[in-house]
Amino acid sequence: MALLIAVALFLAQAINFGLLLQERRQARLDQATGPAVTRIVDADERIAAGKKIGGGGSWSRTRVLAASPIPPGAERLGDIERALRVALTDAGVKANRIETQVLPISPNDPRLRYVSQSRIERLLRAGAELVVAVERPDGQWIVLNIGWTRNDSTILWRLFAQTAILYGVVLVPLLWAGRRISRPLRRLAAAARDFHPGTATEPIVESGPQDVRDVIVAFNALRLRVTAMLDEKDRMLGAIGHDLRTPLAALRVRIESVEDDTDRAKMADTIAEMNRTLDDILSLARLGRPSEPPTEVDLAALVDAVVEDFRDLGHSVGFEEADRLQVRLRPSPMRRALRNLIENALKYGKSAEVTLTATPHEVVIAVCDRGPGIPADRLGDVFEAFTRLETSRNKETGGIGLGLALAHAIVREAGGDIALENRDGGGLIARITLAR
Amino acid sequence: MLNTDTMGDTPHLLLVDDERSIREPLAQFLTRQGFRVTQAGDAEGARARMTAYAIDLVILDIMMPGEDGLSLTRHIRESGEIPVILLTARTEETDRIVGLEMGADDYVVKPFSPRELAARVKVILRRAAAGGVRQHAPESGSFAFAGWVLKSGERTLVDRDGVSVPLSTGEYNLLHALVTRPRQVLTRDQLLDLTQGREAAAFDRAIDNQVSRLRRKIEADPKAPDLIKTVWGGGYTLAAEVTRL
Repeated sequence: MALLIAVALFLAQAINFGLLLQERRQARLDQATGPAVTRIVDADERIAAGKKIGGGGSWSRTRVLAASPIPPGAERLGDIERALRVALTDAGVKANRIETQVLPISPNDPRLRYVSQSRIERLLRAGAELVVAVERPDGQWIVLNIGWTRNDSTILWRLFAQTAILYGVVLVPLLWAGRRISRPLRRLAAAARDFHPGTATEPIVESGPQDVRDVIVAFNALRLRVTAMLDEKDRMLGAIGHDLRTPLAALRVRIESVEDDTDRAKMADTIAEMNRTLDDILSLARLGRPSEPPTEVDLAALVDAVVEDFRDLGHSVGFEEADRLQVRLRPSPMRRALRNLIENALKYGKSAEVTLTATPHEVVIAVCDRGPGIPADRLGDVFEAFTRLETSRNKETGGIGLGLALAHAIVREAGGDIALENRDGGGLIARITLAR
Repeated sequence: MLNTDTMGDTPHLLLVDDERSIREPLAQFLTRQGFRVTQAGDAEGARARMTAYAIDLVILDIMMPGEDGLSLTRHIRESGEIPVILLTARTEETDRIVGLEMGADDYVVKPFSPRELAARVKVILRRAAAGGVRQHAPESGSFAFAGWVLKSGERTLVDRDGVSVPLSTGEYNLLHALVTRPRQVLTRDQLLDLTQGREAAAFDRAIDNQVSRLRRKIEADPKAPDLIKTVWGGGYTLAAEVTRL
């Protein structure tokens, strides 16, 4: 942005200077030809009248020579020559050839000895003299010297200096103004990016121009509204949990009066299942606002502990005890995610195999089963809550597919991902990948 | 519901819950289990009944309108040694920890199995009758031993670098039994008994298996254990100083 403005400013300056240069050149032309023409006309008249030629000071004396003093190869000034010719013709002077040359003036020039100090300074500042030679029809050359301002390089420096001033005057305030707008905007963007409804954060300080302030005020208000809505949701879910759990608990107490043991056990299982689902719903809904901070955890021990709990319940879950593997995460939700994956594997595959592998950058927990797997085109769908693939996975096993959705959400929240893959030879692999 | 004829040797339970749908069938069930049960629908009623009767144990719902179960637990603890079992919902985990810290003896999570509740009532009453020494909320607080910290509220084991080492339910129960009785020799039967009061899961597996798993986690050299030592004649002991934090 700043660069663009700088370039634009420089371009504008360059164009200005181009025009200025043009004008100066024209002015110099007029300045040089005017006096020269007067003097040539004067000399021409004197020659015609047979008078002696003189005047104009010692160094710039007009003189009459038999040949042009300008060497043939010298660089000529075409525009001056043309202007002279036009002016001389207008004045009625006949000229054959007109030649010009620019010669530098050195401070040691012997001619300067007879010139006043102020003139010397002026001449030296101009830096050069213009030699004009005009051939009369009789072959004599009228020659004279005029001060000539060099095509100076200072003009380029002046361009740079002026541009620098312009930068100082325009660009610095512009950048300052830009920063004033962009800094609060950047802060706003960062705050929006890092906005996690669970964590209490200070509202962003209102700063910058009015428009930006308005945006910040609106954002702060939005954040409060989102937080309030989530609080409301939590309260609602808490109420739902309580309201559902109470009749569930009442039911659980009442079934003790059922005489038939098998019946009672089945009822108890159903109630337990309902309770687990209720837990899942509540956890899924509360996930964005965790109550437990992440800690350093031995992931190998975590996997081992979860697997061990399943074995204690008589399930067949394979896991080779692994070396200590330190990872930063919230242990309880991760236990739950893994438990849900293993539960899912057991539900469809009767037994499960868990592996833990680590690379320098990531950790992979794989839960494998030998169940029916999932059609390839639906592998992604199972993470959606309330998705159950009746087609391939067993219907009687119950559940509303919340388990995988919860596991997915937990792992995502921990900055990792879960991928499902069908196994060679049948079955499913669920892979939790976590960054180290 | 009042078994006046067996008053005296029948344990007298006070059941406090604002939900009649839970309280009444539960009272019936516990009565069938051989307890004398008095009901109260709120904290105020509970206080009145505790003054009126010699209550042996209080079963108390945490979440009640008006004065809640936690506050009532504190009151009961301040006024005597009557054991308290809390009824909680899973969503109230912090309440549960606070409840234990306030001196509740045990808790069950709704929806609970009434049989399990009855079993725990019996365990606590037996304990109270045996020594009269109340177990002051054995699972609350943290226990430091040999560089490890067992946090009972969160059920985690933390090593000296602050890294959590998750434990299975069985491992946790066993370690908890050991750290709450350091330098006591505990037989396998005792350990089974001590680890039973908790969750229904972990019992069928042999204690020996759990011990060797625990050793792999906490011993510097599991083959030559320094912490959980095997005692001749069958049993284990925790050979370490335990500090309650």
